[in-house]
Amino acid sequence: MSGWWQDISAWAVANPILSVETLDIYWQGLVHTVQLVFASLVIGLLMAVPLAVLRGSGRWWINAPVWAFTYVFRGTPLLIQLYLVYYGFAFIPGVQDTWLWFFLEDAIYPALFAFTLNTAAYTTEIFHGAIRSTARGEIEAARAYGMSPWTTYRRVVLPGAFRRALPAYGNEVIFMLHASSIASVVTIMDLTGAASLIYSRFYAPFTAFMLVALIYMALSFAIQGLFRSLEKRLLRHLASDR
Amino acid sequence: MSDGSTPLVIRDLHKRFGNNEVLKGVSLTAHQGDVITMIGASGSGKSTFLRCMNLLEQPDSGDIVVHGESIAFAEKHGKRQPQDWKQVQRIRARLSMVFQNFNLWAHMTLIQNVIEAPIHVLGTPRKTAREQGMALLERVGLTSHADHYPAQLSGGQKQRGAIARALAMEPSVMLFDEPTSALDPELVGDVLKVMRELADEGRTMVVVTHEMDFARDVASQVVFLHAGQVEEAGPPAAVLAHPDSARLQQFLAPRF
Amino acid sequence: MNWLDFQGYGPRLLDGALLTVELAVLSLVLALALGLAAASARLSRSAIARGLAVTYTTLIRGVPDLVLMLLLFYGGQMGMNMVTDQIYDRFGIDAFVLINPFVAGVATLGVIYGAYMAETIRGAFLAVDVGQMEAARACGMSPWLVFRRVRFPLMMRHALPGLGNNWLVLLKSTALVSIIGLTDMVLVAEKATKDTHEPFLFMVPVALGYLAISSASELAMLWLRRRYDAGFRHAR
Repeated sequence: MSGWWQDISAWAVANPILSVETLDIYWQGLVHTVQLVFASLVIGLLMAVPLAVLRGSGRWWINAPVWAFTYVFRGTPLLIQLYLVYYGFAFIPGVQDTWLWFFLEDAIYPALFAFTLNTAAYTTEIFHGAIRSTARGEIEAARAYGMSPWTTYRRVVLPGAFRRALPAYGNEVIFMLHASSIASVVTIMDLTGAASLIYSRFYAPFTAFMLVALIYMALSFAIQGLFRSLEKRLLRHLASDR
Repeated sequence: MSDGSTPLVIRDLHKRFGNNEVLKGVSLTAHQGDVITMIGASGSGKSTFLRCMNLLEQPDSGDIVVHGESIAFAEKHGKRQPQDWKQVQRIRARLSMVFQNFNLWAHMTLIQNVIEAPIHVLGTPRKTAREQGMALLERVGLTSHADHYPAQLSGGQKQRGAIARALAMEPSVMLFDEPTSALDPELVGDVLKVMRELADEGRTMVVVTHEMDFARDVASQVVFLHAGQVEEAGPPAAVLAHPDSARLQQFLAPRF
Repeated sequence: MNWLDFQGYGPRLLDGALLTVELAVLSLVLALALGLAAASARLSRSAIARGLAVTYTTLIRGVPDLVLMLLLFYGGQMGMNMVTDQIYDRFGIDAFVLINPFVAGVATLGVIYGAYMAETIRGAFLAVDVGQMEAARACGMSPWLVFRRVRFPLMMRHALPGLGNNWLVLLKSTALVSIIGLTDMVLVAEKATKDTHEPFLFMVPVALGYLAISSASELAMLWLRRRYDAGFRHAR
């Protein structure tokens, strides 16, 4: 067993791809990936909660725009959304001469914009479904005790909906992690960007991409584990005794 | 279907699940026209015994002989298994089972349920199978429901449909696994009526049940199982009216 | 009528759209086949089959589509070069096999979504009531008959919603093949955008194209679901 480990470490040390310099590129890529995913998830989540409530409105002129938003962003590829924002901003006539260009030049901002809107759309639908699946009896009980619609939402509907949405939202988080690799297409140096860079330098696709594959896998497992323990704690009331 | 040979002979069956020995050497012989009712408390092994008869459970030791044909067993991967599964399928086609939970195929209509096995296992032509199937449904009083799906039927209707399905295979022995236990009380009577008619026809039946009236009036033999063994067996007049074993007396005593 | 002409890119966009559909459909077929195989392996008695299936689905679902695509495309070409070098060394045959990006795209998407479909199908198999199959075995049906007449139809009913979702995700993933140089409508639109500085003119129609294919798929799935739902919609 130790001989096997020695062989691998010997190979690792001799391999130019695993030098300190390239590992630093991977590390930077990891940092950028995490930053991008985390930021878009948080902002998207904050947007999604009010949007999900609006989505459940009985008035079509409130409901319909939100539905249209989620329909378009869930029905089209993220790559298209990214291109639209990226090139859309870059090619606004004259923008390259203004102060705005200072922000827009760095591709991270269009990427953040597109990813945030995308996750907001999916998360809105997830929460909307969870809100709709609130047991009618719970709402009736709240009304019977004199709670206002707003209080009912705040104390009864939303807490239950968040808990019910956990499994689906966990999937969404992992989905965003995977989707973030698309940012590399618009020159962002995330994990996948790092792998592409290393590949083009050393022409070793297997090593370059397998390494990031392993990192993504580790991140995915970590997120799954986190959500599983969250579910165990918060969904205890749904577990059956049998 | 009878050729003079004894329809069903079971000798010294043993079965364990993990560390729990559920059947500790049970035997049974069903002659042509016998109606054998198996009674006993939950966990006595009566359902397991029935399910061993058509190999839905694999017995650890013992013989199963259907119309003189003995099921051949072999040791595979450390467990005893039937040697020839084609033999098992052939024998299963001669036995029919009616389940506690009906187990009608949910994606087929009633008539489709009835003709499915005759067409695909016996090779009966579709037209013949349909005619015979409709006749069977008429027998159990379900002609008007032939094109309904099981989800549209009541429990009693489903079980009568399941009996029609079992009859369609022209079995030599019919196995009933607590056929009325999952039914609302007012529907039990309809199903028992059909089973009584089958018994009067001279069918060979093995019935696991809690319905003591059925055992008393219809059975030719009552078998009382306790903790994996046959405690008492005999004609209902003897076993039910004058039980010998203390456990059977306790089992039959009225409970409030 | 200038905008309808898409500044001359019209025909190329159409070709790209056709390619997208071809790619998606072929990948779907491959994914369904792999998914069914992996789900069956997962439920089989052989521990080796189960282990392979679990490894397959876990690995693939833990890695982004794009990374797998790049790995298989660049790695695949290199691997193919190594194989042909070996053949040259041993047999003197000088062959050069260029991995067609279309084939790479279909293979990658099929392998990736095969893993997701395997999980959907496995869940659907587990949801089938055991009693249905017991009744079939008790009639003397052979294992193949039990599967074909009872287990598979009932499984499909449970699987359809999930498989439908898998398809919609696969459809959107086809956009990624533009990154390995396949001339689908996304690549055409991107090149056109860079040339003409008119992102909306090209990207919006492509987006509408995806929406149209999605909507058509949802209609098809409604029809399929109706077929397999027989017997379940009428419950009292």
